[in-house]
Amino acid sequence: MRLRNLNMTLDYADDLKLFRSRQSKASLVALLALGLLLPVIVPDDFWLSVLVYAGIYAIGAIGLNLLTGFTGQVSLGHAFFVAAGSYTAVILGTQHGQPLLVWLPAAAVVGGIIGAIVGPFALRLRGNYLAVISLGLVFLGQHIANNWDSVTGGPGGTTVIAPVKLGPFDFAALELGGRSYTRYQSFFWLTWGLVALALIVSKNIVRSRPGRAMQAVRDRDVAAEVIGVSLARYKVGAFVISSALAAVCGALFGAFQLFVEPDSFGLFLSIQFIAMIIVGGVGTLFGSVIGAVFVGAVPQLVSRYSDSIPFIAQGAGGEGLTVFQLNQIIFGLLIVLFLVLEPRGLAAVWLRLKAYFRAWPFSY
Amino acid sequence: MKRRNLLRLFAVLFTLGLVAAGCGGGDDDDGAGSGDNGELTAAPGFDPVTKEIHLGIISPLTGPVAAIGKPLTAGNEVWFKYINEEKGGIAGEYKVVLHLEDSQYVPQNAVQAYNKIKNDVVMFAQLLGTPSTNAVLPQLKADNIVASPASLDAEWVREPNLLPIGGPYQIQMINAADWLLEEGNGEGKTMCTMIQDDVYGQAGQQGVEFAAKELGFTVKSTARFKAGTPDLTAQVQQLKTAGCQVVFLVSTPTDTGTALGVAARTQFAPQWIGQSPSYIGALASSPLGPYLAANFYVAGEGTEWGDMSVPGMRDMLDRLQAYQPNQPPDYYFAFGYNQANAVTQVLEKAVELGDLSRAGIKKAMEEVGTLTFAGLSGDYKYGTVAEREPPRTSTIFKINPAKPIGIETVKYNFTSDAAKKFEFEAD
Amino acid sequence: MTNFLQLCFAGLALGALYALVALGFVVIYKATGVINFAQGGLVLLGAYLTYNFRQTWGLPFFLCIPLAMIACALVGAAVERFVLRWMVGQPAFAVIMVTIGLLFVIEQIVTGVWGFDRLNMGDPWGIRAVELGDVVVAVKDIWTVVFAAAVMLAFFLFFRYSNLGVAMRATAFDQEAAIAQGISARRIFALSWAIAGAVATLAGVMLASGGGGVRPDIQYIALLAFPAIILGGLDSPAGAVVGGIIIGLTQTLTAGYQPTHFPELGTGFSAVMPYFVMIVILMVRPYGLFGTKEVRRV
Repeated sequence: MRLRNLNMTLDYADDLKLFRSRQSKASLVALLALGLLLPVIVPDDFWLSVLVYAGIYAIGAIGLNLLTGFTGQVSLGHAFFVAAGSYTAVILGTQHGQPLLVWLPAAAVVGGIIGAIVGPFALRLRGNYLAVISLGLVFLGQHIANNWDSVTGGPGGTTVIAPVKLGPFDFAALELGGRSYTRYQSFFWLTWGLVALALIVSKNIVRSRPGRAMQAVRDRDVAAEVIGVSLARYKVGAFVISSALAAVCGALFGAFQLFVEPDSFGLFLSIQFIAMIIVGGVGTLFGSVIGAVFVGAVPQLVSRYSDSIPFIAQGAGGEGLTVFQLNQIIFGLLIVLFLVLEPRGLAAVWLRLKAYFRAWPFSY
Repeated sequence: MKRRNLLRLFAVLFTLGLVAAGCGGGDDDDGAGSGDNGELTAAPGFDPVTKEIHLGIISPLTGPVAAIGKPLTAGNEVWFKYINEEKGGIAGEYKVVLHLEDSQYVPQNAVQAYNKIKNDVVMFAQLLGTPSTNAVLPQLKADNIVASPASLDAEWVREPNLLPIGGPYQIQMINAADWLLEEGNGEGKTMCTMIQDDVYGQAGQQGVEFAAKELGFTVKSTARFKAGTPDLTAQVQQLKTAGCQVVFLVSTPTDTGTALGVAARTQFAPQWIGQSPSYIGALASSPLGPYLAANFYVAGEGTEWGDMSVPGMRDMLDRLQAYQPNQPPDYYFAFGYNQANAVTQVLEKAVELGDLSRAGIKKAMEEVGTLTFAGLSGDYKYGTVAEREPPRTSTIFKINPAKPIGIETVKYNFTSDAAKKFEFEAD
Repeated sequence: MTNFLQLCFAGLALGALYALVALGFVVIYKATGVINFAQGGLVLLGAYLTYNFRQTWGLPFFLCIPLAMIACALVGAAVERFVLRWMVGQPAFAVIMVTIGLLFVIEQIVTGVWGFDRLNMGDPWGIRAVELGDVVVAVKDIWTVVFAAAVMLAFFLFFRYSNLGVAMRATAFDQEAAIAQGISARRIFALSWAIAGAVATLAGVMLASGGGGVRPDIQYIALLAFPAIILGGLDSPAGAVVGGIIIGLTQTLTAGYQPTHFPELGTGFSAVMPYFVMIVILMVRPYGLFGTKEVRRV
């Protein structure tokens, strides 16, 4: 029985478990506690906004990881679905004043439907061609956003005033037990609550039959089809789930930022999502979250402590790289270095560390 | 059984979390306050002990628009250096400290930069770009912070949280059209527009259309383009086919170069009139220089660089020499310099009223009266939002590559009758 | 009619630019099976290097171009040697992302060195134009078409008659068999990146000359060239040229006629028209017009 706690799969039932060991349960509980307490320990608006953005991105990254990491469908078009979610929030939240419980699920549904329309393209195209065509999707999406003025406000963008009230809790300014919390504290709880929800849903998909089918499609789609996995069903299904999550991410993004513009949903956003899953770990759900926090927080850290980094221009006339340029270089290098040196991302680094300490003092 | 244990643990933790949360939340007051008898109290971004006033700047310091953001910010810096060094600071005793943030002209970055420094600054001395300003505006209102936009949109005039300077884009185009018909040989010519397809382009188009109605001409053709399009052949061809003889251009310098390059290469030579941000000094020294000199006018404000008959210009060049001698002559530098001047006038009023809190700055803006710029920009009357009266003067420049920023005054500081009629609507 | 001819010539010149960029993509894809998203970075680097030789060092313009081509080819080969070689055998998605990462690095190094301002290339063409009947044609556009044609001819001769070219084709056709024949796949890989760098330089120079100026934006030409390579088929040089010209013409004609005839499609439709064409073509022919159909083995 003792062996069960080690990183060892003894029978098939182990593979299906939500939590594989007591440790993983304990660490989950610790994480939850951290999530609840963090906004109170660090009530700084700036750091909270960084973490809220990271949480919002994490939801989208989980979606992309289901599609790319688990089903093997390369997509540079994630930004398109994020945009769909944002503009759903604009129509329902801003223009019709619907509550959170309407516009957020509606965003997921709209994202899912668009995913179901786009998904079949993946049945005909593979690999490189799919990547490039999904690139086309981003440009088409931006064109629509630039021209659909009544919703998107045209190229100048539009303000998003989507109500974030859930029953008695107003996440724009939470009041609990006679205490009032800032918008950033409240949004932190809302966002990370939704990240947890997305993780649970995704974990349940991945550990059950559809998840195994998706991975079979990823590893060799023709072989999967031969053993009876319906390619149409799982490829399109992966697109539906992934874009629904992307749309939720987009809706939250708009509601939090209070403003969106078509340029927010460009190719760079898609690339950022891919960077997140690469850095975090392709094919691991938890890695998507680590990756989102990492990719979201590093530029902010660099910018905050830029004063003490050499070769960085100070002031408008200063010589040297600007903080932005440094960040872009770091971003590019992160992608390259992770893919070359650690293609399985931070999640793998974490697993190795864990395994090392579990077997300590033995080296393997 | 196991599952229930887990749930119980969550419940306990959740309660713990709430208790702890209860201890940390609820810091409602922003620490600002007004002094009773002229004694200034602390406010976000102001410390009465160190006597420092902190100001935020959100500007594109990298990316395509850095060509505007960098000199403009340098203008801010030179003015405040002058205030700190020669005047001893705001109202003679409060030194200005600037916090620079790079927006790359991306609204989302502007919002993040805003959140990053908003609690460390009294107000924002510069917020560059129409999209960035639109993005930050809802939060400015929520936090009751004042920012000075570095763009000339007419909508800013009636925004209580914004401190705009200069004549709005609409005014520039109306005055330009008036000048063209009166003195610029434009009577009876085919008028067209070429505009960037966004809010900024729309502002210029609105000005031209207003002028068309007032002055009795029609806009024959409007070519629209998306900022940063690498090839503008079709748009220029559209204007050429329509037989345009005058084209009002609303763009930023990069696109101006692309558009005029195509026009020059296809030998299309109408009279171009650019809104002030469409021009940059580098264009005059490029291969397009001779084409611009023959066909291009700029509608802007103030005077040409180095015009010593205007006292403000003399002072500005002296201070530039003293504090940032390596800054090349630049139109946007002058704008940033004037903007910082406006901010200083408001801050001095706030000090006089004894309140540097966010509300205090807003009050100072209402009571500051008319902001003046020693001939570098038109007088701007402040008061309550409804009473604000932006300058309606413009200056028309032509291109002369021999001049410092390649522009030479054609008609200095005039107001057309049509421009006087333009109404700035409240939002 | 004049309008139509004028637009057609503009489309042809734009198409020639796309073709130059697309040829760079194709040569790498053909030899290594990699879609190189960093091609735009090479275009940028080539243009700035030429600027540097011309304006900072004051060399004659027609000497600057080959110098920059050589320098950019070396950079391309170095990128292959020190980065891409580690990625051999990795999934296509991972390799694409590595090239995207490289694009970010190259872009920032270039802007870090030369800044964001528009710089004058110092080319001899400037804004000069010649009149052919009613149609006004820029000298620079004529040179663009000439360069594209010359590069295509060179490609043809190289792949057909030179030992290296034949070796490249063999490697592309069957890597293992080629290695068994004594062909060094490493050399072929590095060579393909070098050629891509050289071709990219030409594209960059032509984009930045004629008064347009050297500026960071010119790298986006590479994104716009994607439809061209997809249209032609990823591994066909002839397809790249045909695809480039089709896309160039489509884009310019759309920009010329859509705003007046189909305004409901929105402003700036011409910029997305190539992608539209690309998606439609791919639905009909999943491997482009001239591309080789992939054989799927279980």
